[in-house]
Amino acid sequence: MTLSRRQILGALGGLGIAAGVGAPLISGIRGSASTGELLPSRRPLPRPFAMPLRIPPVLTPTRSDASGDYYDIVQRPAGVQILPGVRTEIWGYNGRFPGPTIRSISGRPTIVTHRNELPVPVVVHLHGGRTPPEHDGFPTDLLYPVGATMGAAESHHVDATITHGTRDYVYSLRQPAATLWYHDHRMDFTGPSVWRGLAGFHIVTDPDEQGLGLPTGDRDLPLMIADRSFDADGALHYPSLDPTLHHTPGVHEPYGSGVLGDVILVNGVPWPVADIPAVRHRLRLLNASNARRYRLALDPPPPGGPALVQIGTDGGLLDQPITHDAIELAPAQRVEVVVDFGRYRPGQQVTLRNEFGDHTTTPVMRFRITHTAADHSRIPDQLTTPSTTAPTAIPVTTRDLHFRHSTVHGMQGWAINGEPFDPSRSIATPRLGTSEIWRLSSDFHHPIHIHQANFRVLGRGIGGPGPYDHGPKDTIDLRPAEQASILVTFADHPGRYVLHCHNLEHEDMGMMGTFTITR
Amino acid sequence: VNAIFHAGRAHWPLRISATVAAVLLFDQAVYAGQFLSGTFAALQTHRDNATYAGLAVLATGICAVLLRWPGRGPLWPIFACLIQFGLVGLQIALGFARVLTLHIPLGVLIVLGWIHLTVWSWRYRPAPSAVAQPPTAGADRTEQAVGS
Repeated sequence: MTLSRRQILGALGGLGIAAGVGAPLISGIRGSASTGELLPSRRPLPRPFAMPLRIPPVLTPTRSDASGDYYDIVQRPAGVQILPGVRTEIWGYNGRFPGPTIRSISGRPTIVTHRNELPVPVVVHLHGGRTPPEHDGFPTDLLYPVGATMGAAESHHVDATITHGTRDYVYSLRQPAATLWYHDHRMDFTGPSVWRGLAGFHIVTDPDEQGLGLPTGDRDLPLMIADRSFDADGALHYPSLDPTLHHTPGVHEPYGSGVLGDVILVNGVPWPVADIPAVRHRLRLLNASNARRYRLALDPPPPGGPALVQIGTDGGLLDQPITHDAIELAPAQRVEVVVDFGRYRPGQQVTLRNEFGDHTTTPVMRFRITHTAADHSRIPDQLTTPSTTAPTAIPVTTRDLHFRHSTVHGMQGWAINGEPFDPSRSIATPRLGTSEIWRLSSDFHHPIHIHQANFRVLGRGIGGPGPYDHGPKDTIDLRPAEQASILVTFADHPGRYVLHCHNLEHEDMGMMGTFTITR
Repeated sequence: VNAIFHAGRAHWPLRISATVAAVLLFDQAVYAGQFLSGTFAALQTHRDNATYAGLAVLATGICAVLLRWPGRGPLWPIFACLIQFGLVGLQIALGFARVLTLHIPLGVLIVLGWIHLTVWSWRYRPAPSAVAQPPTAGADRTEQAVGS
């Protein structure tokens, strides 16, 4: 058979068309699990599963009396070892990353005195706390460093409560048992500050939850998952426009969509390994990453059914446990699961994997099953009575909030309903004691967090809630070009709060709004 | 000009340019799908490729002029390209203004219309009177001339 010149030309033309359409189509066909750009580390990465898991120490109160438990925290720079053979400077609560864990009993006031020995102002937010507005960590309520004199340019925000050196944060914690966390929340600079280490667990317990028989003690593991990148000298690597974090907010392009690291830290340790007995464990999983989303699964999965029994979420326990093979977790979200490691043999290695990962970000940590042990824990069929968690108020208003890419002050940025963050203008004024339906829509991945008020996910698109949407939430994983309806209840305190995207680069580049709960 | 764009071959630039533009226009849907799947960089690619697609449409308009003079082909492809170029400009403006209720249907319309023009360009044969060679052998020689 001989091909005519015409046929050859036709075939070449067809190939050209196929390449012109096919190459971009195939190369991008997976889409992206996280909105952001990978910032590669500039030094060789350590071997995974070589360093032991650390559990952040539980902070002891400096005093306790009828009025509550009192804690002291000093925020300061510290040199710590994260990677083998090199010191990394962090900014830490008590010089630690993660900060010390605070454990509070529901309803018992907790007063934390923060002293700022960092070179920049700070703001502390208790994420998930139902906190009065003056203690919630409004982004302009700055705590200046010890000995700093405030510059004129730094005091321009109206209604801002400025303090110097130390201040108290008073948490009433009239809320059910839940895994909360505290982190920096300074306007324009939250991303780099959290990246440097300003994050810690704050766990709330209550007698009902303690009586359920769930795994406790060293079988109750808080796990803060955070991706980071490192510079050649071992320093934390972050693309700040102004590395002093004093003047110009934001990051170099192309990182304005979010900064993704290539090292996965669990409680500040890269890809750690934990030796544990073959018994049930309660894992309190927190995604403290700036922009990375995770889909967490166990490898190998245990014989005989789903690996993960979800018992809780952002705002506390679910009514009933839900089983999953894998769980998706957006930045700032928490999920509590019970894993029965008794289904594995002693000597077995079980890897917690991120199915959204790529190369170095797929492994998260490893469990090595050491031995069998007595296990008196249980997972009750009923964790809470629905009446204590279900909202009772009938929604009085429906609001639409659009979370989209935009031009903010002449720069690439992010906006809510077309507007960047303005501390002095409320985009919603719900009344105390009411519920509202908020309809959220997105262009890219936006983990939307509402301060103070918990919500329920009513549905996504034209369907119901997703598999990870159950229970009381404070952060929803809004995916690209998605609409979601949530029922928000404003039950606790009147005052001025914020809602924002918890992709911290989006938050710092405008995607935050003030709302005021009115009487 | 006559040496390059011989009257009998004047439909070839149109065919090639229209095909390139068709690929670029269709790729707009590919990039849109990617940023709707969370790939942020695809938004910039969608924006850049809109410019390239617009230029390719404009270049095709010039080729349509050659099809008429010296090709003695029909006049309407010139107007079709001008209308498409106007629609692409409108489409870019609608995209920047985020008027997606019009941006997406108009995008479908532009691609449909352009594929129609491209298919026509490949089916089109110059009228025998436009070809210098005897009508019986003209078409084949034209193909060979381009291939060599």
